[in-house]
Amino acid sequence: MSFDVETTASETVIIHVGEALDFRNADEFKSTFQERVEEGARQFILDFSDTEVLDSTGLGSIFSLYRAVSPDDGKVAFADVSEPVQVVVQLTRTYKVFRQFPSVEAAREAFSG
Amino acid sequence: MSALTKTYTDLDQAINEVQSLGNTWPTAQLNGTLDAETLHCTSLVLHEWIANLHQHAEFRATPKVEVELSSQEHRVYCSVVDNSEGFEIDAYFPNEDDDLEAFPERGMGLRIIKTCTDDISYTTTEDGLHCFEFIIPADHDPWLNTLF
Repeated sequence: MSFDVETTASETVIIHVGEALDFRNADEFKSTFQERVEEGARQFILDFSDTEVLDSTGLGSIFSLYRAVSPDDGKVAFADVSEPVQVVVQLTRTYKVFRQFPSVEAAREAFSG
Repeated sequence: MSALTKTYTDLDQAINEVQSLGNTWPTAQLNGTLDAETLHCTSLVLHEWIANLHQHAEFRATPKVEVELSSQEHRVYCSVVDNSEGFEIDAYFPNEDDDLEAFPERGMGLRIIKTCTDDISYTTTEDGLHCFEFIIPADHDPWLNTLF
């Protein structure tokens, strides 16, 4: 399963995570964002609206994205976080690092403002 | 006590099914004994453990994993029995004092399991199978504080 990706006019990359980000597709997620980072992207919105599963390896791959963009003041935001993902976010307290928005549109507006 | 027992020979299928516990094990939820967050925590722990088996366990025959779940007094009791060669569990589970690098890419799974659960045991049965058991209390407020 490949990830659905779009880039906004303000060079923000939106990755629609889909049903799962876990140990089975974390490498594909990393390839997806690495390609955009190499192209110069530094702002990412992760859309979790359809996501039933985020496991430790999936979260590790998001940390990898954060480590790739944060030295250049890049940002990673979570949008439309589903209930199973929210459990992981609360458990790991990643809300301290990744700003959450109720929708992709709200995140996009915040990034373009 | 509402119980659910399922046996899998396909670990991917096992992982896919434990991800949707709320759908496959609705009785406890409908009775109001467990909230959605507790079920999500249970799914997460089962996912992390079976993913661990999937990635690291050695199976000399077709994998066979039996998951048994029950709930009582706002607690989830769970066991996962498998026919792998097993683990040296102490070598896998982190100690409380072990430092984890900031924003780690690996090594969080067993910490998540340990944080979400109250009691963990990992034993070998008389049949030579391996049994991972844990309890998740519904009134638990687990969190990890070692990632940043």
